[in-house]
Amino acid sequence: MNHFEVFGLPRKLGIDTAELQRTFYELSRILHPDFHQGAPPAEQASALEASARLNAAYRTLRDPIARVEYLVRLEEGRATREGAAATREAPPELLAEMFEIQEALAEAKAGGLDADGRRRLAAERDRLLARHREEELRLAGPLSAAWDAGDAGERPRLLDACKRALATRAYLGTVVEDLTEALGESQEGHVTHRRH
Amino acid sequence: MAYSDKVVDHYNNPRNVGSFGKETPGVGTGLVGAPECGDVMKLQIRVNLDTGVIEDAKFKTFGCGSAIASSSLATEWLKGKTVDEAAKIKNTDIVNELRLPPVKIHCSVLAEDAIRAALADYRDRYADKLDGAGAPVASA
Ligand code: FES
Repeated sequence: MNHFEVFGLPRKLGIDTAELQRTFYELSRILHPDFHQGAPPAEQASALEASARLNAAYRTLRDPIARVEYLVRLEEGRATREGAAATREAPPELLAEMFEIQEALAEAKAGGLDADGRRRLAAERDRLLARHREEELRLAGPLSAAWDAGDAGERPRLLDACKRALATRAYLGTVVEDLTEALGESQEGHVTHRRH
Repeated sequence: MAYSDKVVDHYNNPRNVGSFGKETPGVGTGLVGAPECGDVMKLQIRVNLDTGVIEDAKFKTFGCGSAIASSSLATEWLKGKTVDEAAKIKNTDIVNELRLPPVKIHCSVLAEDAIRAALADYRDRYADKLDGAGAPVASA
């Protein structure tokens, strides 16, 4: 059962999150262990499993970006089964730009950051953060809407556009995070920390 | 997360960090990224244009420890190989050597991508001097 099916929703990106939350609470209540005390172990186990599935589905679907990411994965699974090659393309000029910024950042850090350098980095960070937001808005807005409105023939092109926007967002998020860290202002919440 | 000793070693003492000058002959450059995490990696090979052997390799990786270790290891493996031999390096070889856990497999994929991109760039640049297999054409 995929996340959309858990909620009985069609595979669409336009989701009313208030409605989603209501359904989530309702289903959670039904699946709550308290309701299944004394039930046969098999029933208890299946309620527990269903509740884990529900939580995972809710976490993904309530976030418009995670939703697109998930849909892309679902569709990719389908595409791979149908023999289409999975691409992990990013715009090459974006990679080059990110690489240059990282190089400059490494140099700036090695040379010690003076007030001027910090100002430059902060300005750069803000500029990139704005682009990061822009990609998110594009994903949650026009791209999601286009996907829902598009017919099967347009799907591959739209899927590609979504993937490119997701990748762009990921690259921007990483440099923003690295710049922020270099500036010593850890701003939780901008982007997730993914380095271990 | 616990890294293997080999990852830690490469991370602390990365081999072959840097890049070649723009004018250096025989260089192929691969610049790749992992959309999963936004990390970027540049890997370069310098091929002896007479023998077709990779004499030197350099990398710069802005990414996690596993990505740094993977690319550092890749540059070590590339040296001394012909372009054809280099094309056979697989991310699974890197995973095995560094004992990367499943969540870090994409970091080794990034290194394999970088090798491929560098080899392709080299072949591209020196296409007129190479036979089909990427080895220099013996000049009569
Ligand atoms: S976490 Fe992305 S390259 Fe390692």
